[in-house]
Amino acid sequence: MSFLSKKNGSAEATVGKWDLSAGDEGFDAEKAKKRDKVKHIIRNVFIYIFLTACAVLAFLPFYWMIISSVKTEMEFRESVPTFFPHTFQWKNYWMVFHQVTSKNSSSASFSQILINTLVVGILSTLLGLVIIVITAYAFARMKFKGKNMLFAIMLATMMIPGELFTASNYITVAKAGMTNSYTVLILPFLVSVYYIYLLRNNFMQIPESLYQAAKVDGLSDMGYLIKVMVPLTAPTLISITLLRFIGTWNSYIWPRLVNTAPWQMITNWVTGGFVDRKQPDGFSLYGGAYGLSESLNTLKMAAVCMVSLPLLILFIFCRKYIMRGVSKSGTKG
Amino acid sequence: MAHEFNLLSQILTVFPQNAVIICCVLGVIAVLMAATIILLYLKKRPKKEPGSVGFFGRIKNNVKEKCAAVKDVFKKKPKEEYAYAGPELTKGEKFRRGLKSQSGWLFVAPALILMAVFTFYPIIAALVNSFKQGYNSMTGSFNGWGFDNFVRVLKGDTGTGGADFVQCLINTLVLTFISVPLSTLLALLISVALNSIKRIQKAYQTILFLPYLTNALALGAVFATFFQIIGTANNTESVGIVNNVLGWFGVAPVDWVGLTSPHWEIGRLSIPWAKYIVTIIYEIWSGLPFKILILFSAMQSINKQYYDAAKVDGASRWTVLWKITAPMIMPQISYLLVTGIMGGMKQYSAVVGIFGVTMGQDYDMGTMVGYLYNYIELGQMGYAFAGSLILFIIIMIITWINNKVTKKRTTYR
Repeated sequence: MSFLSKKNGSAEATVGKWDLSAGDEGFDAEKAKKRDKVKHIIRNVFIYIFLTACAVLAFLPFYWMIISSVKTEMEFRESVPTFFPHTFQWKNYWMVFHQVTSKNSSSASFSQILINTLVVGILSTLLGLVIIVITAYAFARMKFKGKNMLFAIMLATMMIPGELFTASNYITVAKAGMTNSYTVLILPFLVSVYYIYLLRNNFMQIPESLYQAAKVDGLSDMGYLIKVMVPLTAPTLISITLLRFIGTWNSYIWPRLVNTAPWQMITNWVTGGFVDRKQPDGFSLYGGAYGLSESLNTLKMAAVCMVSLPLLILFIFCRKYIMRGVSKSGTKG
Repeated sequence: MAHEFNLLSQILTVFPQNAVIICCVLGVIAVLMAATIILLYLKKRPKKEPGSVGFFGRIKNNVKEKCAAVKDVFKKKPKEEYAYAGPELTKGEKFRRGLKSQSGWLFVAPALILMAVFTFYPIIAALVNSFKQGYNSMTGSFNGWGFDNFVRVLKGDTGTGGADFVQCLINTLVLTFISVPLSTLLALLISVALNSIKRIQKAYQTILFLPYLTNALALGAVFATFFQIIGTANNTESVGIVNNVLGWFGVAPVDWVGLTSPHWEIGRLSIPWAKYIVTIIYEIWSGLPFKILILFSAMQSINKQYYDAAKVDGASRWTVLWKITAPMIMPQISYLLVTGIMGGMKQYSAVVGIFGVTMGQDYDMGTMVGYLYNYIELGQMGYAFAGSLILFIIIMIITWINNKVTKKRTTYR
């Protein structure tokens, strides 16, 4: 040991930087371990601080949206913003529900809009799913002339931005007199080439032998599709369903172009102004302190909450499927 | 015929007035393309070997290959021959069986019909109608063919009080090329941090993913309240959280989103930098989740053996990050950049969410997609078609670059 330490001592000048030998006693594993541990802890502290800051910033808009929706307008406009409401004014939501007084107003009531959105969302999701499944099945399993050519053409249309179609489609539906209806909101977006492509690839992974076996057992193409393929690709189908529904929920520009307010969707509704409207029984939130021309932020935030919270709840319950679908497709539907 | 078809004179009339702007736009696109080509080809260009065919030779081979592939598609394949052991078929039976073998068409028919009406027809209609001058969409009347629509779109001379195309193009390019790299970089930092911790990783992941599932118009309104200066009713005045925070550092309140928002004037364009900042912050916030998801899952799927080997070799954490992690997730980074830029070129709803339907004051925050919708709503379909074709060309260029990048991706695997 003494021989070793002597050698270390002479070399210390050059190796000193590395500090492998603590003093003359040789390599001190304990100390090095401790130092590593301290380093590790410091680094982790920084990482956790960074991540927490990011998470807080990511969540801040949601928090602000929720607390603003229950503040009074006076509190919202205070020069120093409060991060927790003094008084909870749940009547904001009530006022948002009762925005429309007359039936032939240019804006629509929330119940009407919600019905529109749910009907269009459910119909377009279900019909779209049926079309996607049978088309994907035909491309994956069936043999017919010109199949590959047709599929290539359909894939090629994915490269063209959808905005190119909007003007022509608008003319088409306007000429056909389809404006102000649910049909016009559903029909143009039923086919989604990307989902057909995704599902076709899923279908093709199912072994051919299963198909032969089903055929031998006397199952028709349709029966095989429903009884074998659909259950086997259920996770993908659930992802597609969720993403499509979210896409319909968030659709904004097409409803705005083709339909008037009573036929529009929930996103169109939320972009409107919300005012302290005097109700038929004489009730109003601030007794006329804010006029009918002044859009109130707290009411707007309440409306924003009503549009956003369903999506957040959906996400909490279907996190797995949504994230899987998103990482595959990178679209919102 | 009010307008004579003369492309050259029309281009010449546009050019002197807007030379600077058009050059800027073309310059940005050219630099983008050139940079990509240089990055993809010249950097990794192999040294010339005795047997190599050279740059042009490779292009020639490439073209040959593509031609052969196209020929293959059209070439008739030899019919599959199999022994048919059954009895001789009658003509009717043969026809029936032939029809049955084509039943796939029945399955694709609904999708095909819908696509014919809402996808294939609009492509042709947009191509044709954009060249009709003074096109009236309802009656279908127009006065002659020509490039008038394109010229007027680029000149901003539509005479309808709508948005200005060059303004929209500049806005879109600025917003996209600032927000996409920034958010990708931030996503990279967050994923690296996320990857290096063990506890409550899932919780962070979930919270960071929340902004993805939001409605751009709704959350845009929330962001607007962060920056908004609002009324003085009841002697109170809110200048918005951001101005409050800036106030701690002695900065006077800035009207970020309102009518008196600061901007620079350049010719007929205005550069509303304060509004840009608001939009970019929103874009980063809403773009992060998807990027984190992709990058983090890519990092998770890197083979752990590389890290073990690096540990044995005594590599520092920094070296591991730059020599192992970064190259392994390079395909995902390039994918995110490309899809981010493609999505950025089509942005619209965020701007409407923050600045309202008129996209700021006199459309000064308009985007290219916003331009199309603006003219559809004004009923000026000719300009909408022309604008959408220009957008299409720009997106095609990016798609082309995308193809190059994805081809490159395979070399890493």
